[in-house]
Amino acid sequence: MADASSNSISESSTTATASNVVASRSSVVSSHSQTTVSGIAPAPRHVDYILVAEFSIDKGSIMEHQYPVQISGDENMLAELMLPDGTHTRDQDWTIFFLHKDPSSADTDNLEPGGQPPLIYVLNLVITKHDKEAKRGARVKAMAICTRHSFLHIYKPILLLALEEYFKYPTSETLEGLYEAVNSMDLSAMPKLSIFEKQILAASDNKDMFAEKFDEAAAMSPIVGHGRSPSALGGVMGDGSQPTFTNLAAGPGGRPIVFPSKISLPRDSHEFETKVVYKSIPVPIRVPVAILPETVGDFSLIQLITTFSAPHVQNPQPFALHPHLTTNGPYTHPIIVLMNGLLTQKRIVFLSHDRPSGEVANHVLAACALGSGGTLRGFTRFAFPYTDLSKIDELLQVPGFIAGVKNPAFAHHPSWWDILCNIDTGRIKISPELQQPGPFEGASYFSGTADTGDNAFMEEIIHCISGRFGEKALRARWRDWIMRFTQMAAAFEEQVYGASALWIGQEENHVIRGHGFVWPDEQAKNRDLTANMPRIEGWRGTRSYHAYVQDVHTFYREKPIKIIDLHHQMDRLRSLKLGNEESGKIYQALRQYVTTYEEINQLLCALPENQGGLFPLAVGLFHPTQKTRFAVVELLEHIKEHMAGKHFFNSLNQFMKLAFVRLQNEKKNTAVESSVIANGLNVGVAALNLGGQK
Amino acid sequence: MGASVSKMMAKMFGSKEMRLLMLGLDAAGKTTILYKLKLNQGVTTIPTVGFNVETVTYKNVKFNVWDVGGQDKIRPLWRHYFSGTQGLIFVIDSNDRDRIEEARQELHRIMQDREMKDTLLLVFANKQDLPGAMSPTEVTDKLQLSKLKDRVWYVVPSCATTGEGLFEGLGWLSSNVKSPAAAPARK
Repeated sequence: MADASSNSISESSTTATASNVVASRSSVVSSHSQTTVSGIAPAPRHVDYILVAEFSIDKGSIMEHQYPVQISGDENMLAELMLPDGTHTRDQDWTIFFLHKDPSSADTDNLEPGGQPPLIYVLNLVITKHDKEAKRGARVKAMAICTRHSFLHIYKPILLLALEEYFKYPTSETLEGLYEAVNSMDLSAMPKLSIFEKQILAASDNKDMFAEKFDEAAAMSPIVGHGRSPSALGGVMGDGSQPTFTNLAAGPGGRPIVFPSKISLPRDSHEFETKVVYKSIPVPIRVPVAILPETVGDFSLIQLITTFSAPHVQNPQPFALHPHLTTNGPYTHPIIVLMNGLLTQKRIVFLSHDRPSGEVANHVLAACALGSGGTLRGFTRFAFPYTDLSKIDELLQVPGFIAGVKNPAFAHHPSWWDILCNIDTGRIKISPELQQPGPFEGASYFSGTADTGDNAFMEEIIHCISGRFGEKALRARWRDWIMRFTQMAAAFEEQVYGASALWIGQEENHVIRGHGFVWPDEQAKNRDLTANMPRIEGWRGTRSYHAYVQDVHTFYREKPIKIIDLHHQMDRLRSLKLGNEESGKIYQALRQYVTTYEEINQLLCALPENQGGLFPLAVGLFHPTQKTRFAVVELLEHIKEHMAGKHFFNSLNQFMKLAFVRLQNEKKNTAVESSVIANGLNVGVAALNLGGQK
Repeated sequence: MGASVSKMMAKMFGSKEMRLLMLGLDAAGKTTILYKLKLNQGVTTIPTVGFNVETVTYKNVKFNVWDVGGQDKIRPLWRHYFSGTQGLIFVIDSNDRDRIEEARQELHRIMQDREMKDTLLLVFANKQDLPGAMSPTEVTDKLQLSKLKDRVWYVVPSCATTGEGLFEGLGWLSSNVKSPAAAPARK
């Protein structure tokens, strides 16, 4: 434990180390995991540490207990993070912060892509109890759960119970009880999804998408048979008895299925239901099944966008121009300024004095998701959802960060940030001290000015919010934007540098030519690349850029179909007026190459619900060539039989479905007819022969 | 209506705004002073985690008062509040003779900071209601204020719970501030 001194941190020189210091000034070494029986590597625990801190009248913030072992490093620093500024003004507050494992001491089995040890996420609850008995009238205590799960919000109810318990029994045993309880949570029956399945589920609103996977996983799980149910509501009966579930609706041929007593269908396949029994209270827990990168906690993108849109809409204020940030001129939408700041790795501070630190943290986490779009990585690792003045010197060592603070003093130091997002006023400010970037490398290819279309995009987003499309729809919309941005960046690199690290493939081997972004003509392409050049060049070389280059490789390896750029071809079907021959080629190729389960998953990823789902394929049912129409029928037949594809098929409109059925019959009849015709010919010939004999 | 009139008054006479920083050892009474000024009522305070900041308007001057927690471990953070501060309010528990030397050290350390070179110093010799409280002269003495060369300072006896002395202190600050227009960079 003690060997993880701060020396080892200062020796390594990566940027991650700097943030390491800011978050905790400590390297987290799980020595307890080394004491486990050697042999089979144990599954990582759900929760690594439980911490309790107190605000002492005489000494300020101090750590009271750490369980099961001490986290090495400066525990005062941790205690300060656990007792956020202004805690004395409210009864209860939540904060979130992250711990960075020392790369040299981490076990090598659980590394993230990029070879870094996983972050440890800390959910912290602080409670102020006014108490006449206590010195100066109050007791302020905080309890934190340190976990590797990015969905750390699941622990909120348990933490509330446990901190109350700790106020009554402030001993290490209280921590131990909590530690045992949270680590006994059973996720063994949670379905494991492939990279494509995750994307499909995350983009879908359908509550039954991949529901079958739950049954498969439950059947595989060794523990389900021992009295744990994937359905928390079924399983939370205190005596451990399990009801029998009968699902009358499902089952082939309308036959009711009687499940074995331990299994039930989940109500929403986006969540896995389980429980934690704490102090004999069963607490239902819902774990998200498909977690996209950089999604931490239960933030709301809608909230983030609303905070900074409303004042802008009422009374827009001009920004000082910066090529990376104000991509639509002085009246660029503040959210676009923020997103450009994220893409180009600026130092971003979220500040609110009036609101609880939990809300500040949620804005920071939402900003990470904004920059990521569930696609890019490298934001959460440099995010400090809550931090304070005491860590400013370390924070300023980090090149590009996203930090949440409660202290308005940050506003008075424009040298500390590039972009300041004031949650209280809803205004975003660019630091007057932010330097202008050097000349652009692409300037000789793209000159002049062009509209990025950002403001139009934001109007669509605002409409999406006011129309109550929901968080998931908004995230999907944002994801599309980020995907398009990366494709645009690839096209930019190909044009300016001759090649791009953002796209892998050998186009000469493709059965249909073309990859990446789809533009209707060269003019449109030129316009887009000109408008986006500053932020594309600002993005190149950032952490999220390098991580994406790695991810492109990983994704390419996972792709079962490498000889067609499915996204590109689907975009062509959606956005271009293709000739019959062109579109026919696409449909024929799909019929030929998209047949297996995972191949269909890959195709469905290119056909998200918010872009019309299967519509661009189904249009092929009306292709003038019968051969193509039949190819589309065959393709749709495959999709219809697919676990996820059937839901896509079901959401086709009635007109399309009828056309499908009609063509299916036609195809069958044609097959029959052709044999009939063949027979008929024989008969005719025979008749002719007969006639000839006459 | 009221707001627009006061805005007009501000235009006609110029409104003063002043950034004040209130420091002192823990339990000196800083937060009680702040809320007595703000709400004109005694509030029961608990120790400040981090800081409080409130705006107090008195005689057409808007005071932006920062009240920062005083535990010795967090005193190194005080320096982050210095830039742009026009007036320092240093609060003394006049009844705490044991720690007056500690208070003196902290005060002189603050006043020596480069960013505080033009700052006015107001000392509240607080808790005057307690028997055996040090007099303002004794506080001046013990704090060795005479050693502060070329500095403008003033000691006011105060009692945060009754409000005695508080507005006198603010009045002194507003009439001695040199350039109220030189407000600090603001969000």
